[in-house]
Amino acid sequence: MSTAMNFGTKSFQPRPPEKGSFPLDHFGECKSFKEKFMKCLHDNYFENALCRNESKEYLQCRMERKLMLQEPLEKLGFGDLIGGKSEAKK
Amino acid sequence: MGGVWHPAWRRLFFCGWRSLRRGSAARPAETVEPFLRPEWNGTGGAERGLRLLGTWKRCNLGARDPAVQPLWRPKSSNSFRRAQEEEWRRRNKTVLTYVVAVAVGMLGAAYAAVPLYRLYCQTTGLGGSVVAGHASDQIENMVPVKNRIIKVTFNADVHASLQWNFRPQQTEIFVVPGETALAFYKAKNPTDKPVIGISTYNVVPFEAGQYFNKIQCFCFEEQRLNPQEEVDMPVFFYIDPEFAEDPRMIKVDVITLSYTFFEAKEGQNLPVPGYN
Repeated sequence: MSTAMNFGTKSFQPRPPEKGSFPLDHFGECKSFKEKFMKCLHDNYFENALCRNESKEYLQCRMERKLMLQEPLEKLGFGDLIGGKSEAKK
Repeated sequence: MGGVWHPAWRRLFFCGWRSLRRGSAARPAETVEPFLRPEWNGTGGAERGLRLLGTWKRCNLGARDPAVQPLWRPKSSNSFRRAQEEEWRRRNKTVLTYVVAVAVGMLGAAYAAVPLYRLYCQTTGLGGSVVAGHASDQIENMVPVKNRIIKVTFNADVHASLQWNFRPQQTEIFVVPGETALAFYKAKNPTDKPVIGISTYNVVPFEAGQYFNKIQCFCFEEQRLNPQEEVDMPVFFYIDPEFAEDPRMIKVDVITLSYTFFEAKEGQNLPVPGYN
């Protein structure tokens, strides 16, 4: 939250997340997927576009373990990855 | 001099010179003449004069009715004029009713403006406010703007009273607008008591904050960490593709997402920002 006492400048308005909050993964059930994703990021110099498959898998893990509400992957922006492995890393 | 109280003089004195026009057409000389005769010895006018002073208000040029005066009577006894005055009074009443109705309507509109404006903002999304029901369709259909690469850096802060170790697991990530991205923070509770934390976030620069949309994260809700527990906290977000079309954002290449954790007391309910 902005604590600068500027009168007249626009201050930051935090907004709640669209789908709410992630439940905490207390038991580390999806930790392996997370490690894969972090490794991919490290290898690709933190470019997100190349690691979207891994992030999709992490979210799928969460959905299976009831750590996230089930959502079709298109609604999460992974529409182009569903068409099979041939689409691959886009 | 009793002559002053002659009827004609009386009319002149009390009712003004106009009254004399309708009265006698006699010439002044003829009317004055009786008083100039030497045997005029007064008409006992002093008492009459005093009596008449009391009547000066009743200078009615028309009917000289000394009967009881009603509170309001038409200014003329002419029936046409009376009808016209009735008409005017009726119209005045209508106009007054309309004016009062407009005033009350304005007051009501002032009170209704707050929820109506809220509704308007939610449907049109003006002013950077949350657009209800828009988001998931937008994510499905948005096209990444591949030629605009933005670096998102991550920052983690903790309030002084909260003893967690809270840090991001990557310092930066390169995204393009329209592409969903995942990022991780890690938090560890090194104490041997369960601690509840609640977090909020900040996006710098402020103007870019309106394009930074979080699909899901860990903020604004209480998160409980057991003793010696360490968890990964993901943030799933995207940058609105309209970011690339905003002329004010041309120079913006780095966006910083900063989370701050505070300690929450048991049962405390923090209001979620937005509309309550």
